[in-house]
Amino acid sequence: MNNIDPECAPQRADDDEANIPMTGEEKIAWVYGITVIVTSGAYFLYIATQLASHPVDEIAWVVPLIITVVASIVGTIIGTIVASIGGAVWQGVRGRFEEPDFTKDERDLAIKLLGDRRNFAIVSVGLFGALGLAMLDVDTFWIGNWIFLAGTVGAILESATKVRAYRRGV
Amino acid sequence: MGGPKPTRVSNRIRDLRTERDLTQADIANRLGVTRQTIIAIEQGRYSPSLEMAFQIAGVLEAPLDEVFTYKGDDAK
Repeated sequence: MNNIDPECAPQRADDDEANIPMTGEEKIAWVYGITVIVTSGAYFLYIATQLASHPVDEIAWVVPLIITVVASIVGTIIGTIVASIGGAVWQGVRGRFEEPDFTKDERDLAIKLLGDRRNFAIVSVGLFGALGLAMLDVDTFWIGNWIFLAGTVGAILESATKVRAYRRGV
Repeated sequence: MGGPKPTRVSNRIRDLRTERDLTQADIANRLGVTRQTIIAIEQGRYSPSLEMAFQIAGVLEAPLDEVFTYKGDDAK
């Protein structure tokens, strides 16, 4: 096994690291972050425009919020599939096809825990804030949207943390 | 932003696998991890668990301390 041609060995081990495709887990982190920014951004834009022209108790926010959450989940699933197909096509165009790798290993788990921890910190602060709003007997519009805002910020931070860890290290 | 975040564990995986004619994909397949994880370990962007470190040393047929070095040891 150690009897190798010294001229061949460096070439075989010289993997092209710059062009290696993302793992499935990293793709999901990217797609999740982008999807949450788009869907929640649209929701909060809608809420902002409604607030400018309607009293709070006349704003329909429950159904749009549920639609936003569902859109985020469905969008992440579809986006990941599209990104995987797009990535494979791009690799094929460049003549370097590698099958999408959806293996989950200990590094993915470490990165997931890091992202979850950041998300949990933001959501915890948000929940304490919501508790305070409830104690002050504020309208449920503000409590619900405050919780959703905390969840959105937490999700974006989680995604950014994961992408950064995949790119720069854990 | 700065460069990649380094760990305090350095390694000779690249040298050793070159000597043994192994690619990153070969090691990744044998350990059941992604090739990106092997790249991250090689580049010092991820410190593997003790179990994976032993598995990598096993694949490379080298003692653990020949594959991995803790940089904190330099201070001694």
